[in-house]
Amino acid sequence: MIAAYLRSIARRFLRRAKIEREIEEELQSHVQLRADALERNGVERAEAERRARIEFGSRVRFKEECREAMGGNAIEEATRDVRFSLRSLRKSPGFSVVAVITLALGIGATVATFSVVNTVLVRPFAFSHPEKLLWIYSQRSDNPRTNFSLPEYCDYRDQITSFESLAGVASFNPSFADSGPPERVQGVRMSASAFAMLAVRPFLGRTLIAEDDRNGARGVVLISYGLWSRRYGRDQAVIGRAVNLNGETREIVGVLPVSFALPNLDTEIVVPLQPDADPRRNVRNSVNFLRMVGRLKPNVTPQQAHAELEAIRQNLQRQYPGAYTGKIGLTVVPLTEEIVANIRSVLLTIFCAAAAVLLVGCVNLAGISLSRAAARQRELAVRTALGATRGQLTRLLLSESFVLALVGGSLGILLEVWGQRALLRLVPTDLPRIESFSIDWTVLLFACALIFLAAFVCGIAPAWLLSRSDLREALVSGGRGSTGGGLQSRLRTWLVSGQIALALVLLANAGLLLRSFVRLSSEQAGFDPNGVETIRFSLPQTGYDDVGTIMHFYEQLHSRASAVNGIKSDALISILPLAPKSISFVHFTRADRSPARPEDTPSTNYRIVTPDYFRTMGIPLLEGRNFTESDDAEHPPVAIVSTIVAKDHFSDRSPIGQRILVDDTDHDPRPMQIVGAVGPVKQTNLETPAKADIYLPLRQMPKDGVPWLRNSAYWVVKTSGGATGLERLLRDTIQNVDPNVAVGPARPMSDAVTAALAARRFSLLLIGSFAAAALFLAAAGLYAVISYGIQQRNREIGLRLALGATRARILRMIFKEGAVLLAAGILAGFAIALGLARLVASQMYGVNEHDPFSFAVVGLLLSVISFLACAIAARRAMNIDPIVSLRSE
Amino acid sequence: MSEEAELLPGTLDLLILKAVSLGPLHGYAVLSRIEQISGQRLFVEQGALYPALFRLVRQGLLRTEWGKSENNRRAKFYELTAKGRRRLQEETDWWKRASAAVSTALAARPQQA
Repeated sequence: MIAAYLRSIARRFLRRAKIEREIEEELQSHVQLRADALERNGVERAEAERRARIEFGSRVRFKEECREAMGGNAIEEATRDVRFSLRSLRKSPGFSVVAVITLALGIGATVATFSVVNTVLVRPFAFSHPEKLLWIYSQRSDNPRTNFSLPEYCDYRDQITSFESLAGVASFNPSFADSGPPERVQGVRMSASAFAMLAVRPFLGRTLIAEDDRNGARGVVLISYGLWSRRYGRDQAVIGRAVNLNGETREIVGVLPVSFALPNLDTEIVVPLQPDADPRRNVRNSVNFLRMVGRLKPNVTPQQAHAELEAIRQNLQRQYPGAYTGKIGLTVVPLTEEIVANIRSVLLTIFCAAAAVLLVGCVNLAGISLSRAAARQRELAVRTALGATRGQLTRLLLSESFVLALVGGSLGILLEVWGQRALLRLVPTDLPRIESFSIDWTVLLFACALIFLAAFVCGIAPAWLLSRSDLREALVSGGRGSTGGGLQSRLRTWLVSGQIALALVLLANAGLLLRSFVRLSSEQAGFDPNGVETIRFSLPQTGYDDVGTIMHFYEQLHSRASAVNGIKSDALISILPLAPKSISFVHFTRADRSPARPEDTPSTNYRIVTPDYFRTMGIPLLEGRNFTESDDAEHPPVAIVSTIVAKDHFSDRSPIGQRILVDDTDHDPRPMQIVGAVGPVKQTNLETPAKADIYLPLRQMPKDGVPWLRNSAYWVVKTSGGATGLERLLRDTIQNVDPNVAVGPARPMSDAVTAALAARRFSLLLIGSFAAAALFLAAAGLYAVISYGIQQRNREIGLRLALGATRARILRMIFKEGAVLLAAGILAGFAIALGLARLVASQMYGVNEHDPFSFAVVGLLLSVISFLACAIAARRAMNIDPIVSLRSE
Repeated sequence: MSEEAELLPGTLDLLILKAVSLGPLHGYAVLSRIEQISGQRLFVEQGALYPALFRLVRQGLLRTEWGKSENNRRAKFYELTAKGRRRLQEETDWWKRASAAVSTALAARPQQA
């Protein structure tokens, strides 16, 4: 099929070559025959041939006409245009090179950003009809997205009618062991029905079936493509293997598809939820650990579903008033929104910025082409005189810009293909769906469309100008001072003002992002990340059944770490700061006052620590005392709170010594005494203001918390800096204490801070570069217009100088011209930027999107650069010698 | 030179068909034949002949064959096809009617109006 197509192209080219040869031969033979005739009339042979050639006329032209008369197809006509364009572009290599580079960079950048947009926002999700899939969260007064308890989920599942099915999803990060060393993996427990609902097909084996969710079903597990590759080297024989999850034996029955992202791409294993086998099935006030995902029935809107869920919720609340305290509603979010909502505005801004740079670049080229068209009016006039129609000339000009766009665009696509690794390094790793990044047909199609668009933008202005100008006059006046000149310079000033406006919009955005970034990076996270290394681990299921054994494990770590030179202190904690995905909070009340309504019960982040945690993390103890070794099960429970708790709930007195009731068990809230207050810490990210924290000593941890801490805890170590091989050291230390501990990745705390800024750094970097490029291009455009104007008015300036105008006056005249363009551009730019500000408001931090300071600074920057461009252009005017310029006319 | 008439637009094709109808000719001979049969009154710009020939070939009115000229040069010969012959007939009839009409019109006297 393809071979046949190629053959037909080849044949066409061969045919073409043959026709060319025949035309040439025939015309040649005509000239010879004519010369023969002349020779017969007594003309000498050489003279006869010369005369025959002259009589014949332009051989090139007639050959062209012959080809045209032969007719040929659109492809042949197009190749002819292209050949023509190449010839004319070769004559001005400077312009061609600048144009190709501009277009390559512009198209490359736009296609690159589009490829990211395509991957994240455009490409279909792995689920069928994703718009019908909804996440459902329980809403509390202080947090719209919290979890449900198991009985609550079962009630919704059994009563709801708007959904085809409703699945429960809980995170499950067990230690994963087979014959190799145990490993801590991330995963979910999920209703088996979810797979049918999402229509996920397994990569290998099977997914979960209803059978798996039944009481007493055999233990099964699905593993992700990533885990399969990493741990099993993509061995097909993995199906049917027994593995050990948290001490429980399960059989691997399937490998998930690459794109499986529920709740996100980090998911490495899935096990069935088996809700009805769960011991907490009927414990109404058991832990909230589930969220729900459901598929709407056809013809049911999300609003209707939300209303039905809400009705069920209110019923449950009436039925179990004590158990569902603080749950005030439901949050329903489309699944796709959940994945991409936060990043959409950022990505689209970056994409628009890249497209704007391309536009500014194209306008520059259009400007240059305009000058060229004006300068070439004579050439074009001659072509007209020789019979070229206006349509043909327009086609010629457009095909020139098409050739440029094609070459530049192809280079741009190559850049993108070669640069995709670099691009992916630049992109923040937590960008959803970026793992599936690839350059697909959509991207290539987009690139082609972009090439056509760029060609059109670059070529349409000169072509339009051509249609408006009187070429005959150009021929008479020698291409100077024709009507097209005035029109083209007016057009160019418009274009330059437009460029300045666009550059200002980009600069303003970059300025706002920069201010936000600076604000955010100077934001105190509440701890000192310098020299702090962290490592996550899971203890084995057996042998760590109580607080004492966990404590004993830590003490061994501690004594080994203390012996290492350079380690200053170390501690354990349940969840580290700046961990966006980990949530743990409890409700508490002051012992001396209870909230007016149950739903007003305050909540706080809940952390289990060892005493050295605050010292290790550099969190200041502001009041009271730290935990000590004697804060154990034998002594009354104590707690340390952050100053936020003190401020919000103990505004009338010092919190130290106060008693609170903390609801951290399946039983009634426990009383404890506040012994200290520490500084606030940003637990989720840098943007969100610090919330209330409560810290409990590990030795006093309730028994219910043991499985939770055993499943995931962090060891943090403060070094005096300069320690190398720390990760290895920490890992080995843990494995030496107990080889069955599953160890996760180690990471310096400073990385967490960097990661928290990564997305902003990324968009700042890109928007900043695009703004810089736009600024440069706009300045170049301004320079070109001013210097072209000076060149055109060479004679006028010479005349003025000859008539006694001072050079300062000439300079003023030039600057005035520049200032008008600049002012128009800046005013338009401000108007656009202010109009668009609303769209980027969500990306601002600590800065108003109409921030006058940023706007003033970028306006000033743009003005300075523009005047610089004017000044450089004006130097040319300063060098005009009136005598030379007047004589040259 | 005053004897030479400028070709009316559209007549070149007709003349070529006529010239070739008398027997296969190569390009240069077509020119000579047109000059000859018009009594040296019509001259065709040499180069302009070829686009016209190519057009007629494309329309299927002429067919070509490479051969040898009378003085033994390799040349491309043009020959009328059946379709070309029909077209020549039609065009000739049309031309006669049209020129007769124009002549009549031009010969009109004031009292006839």
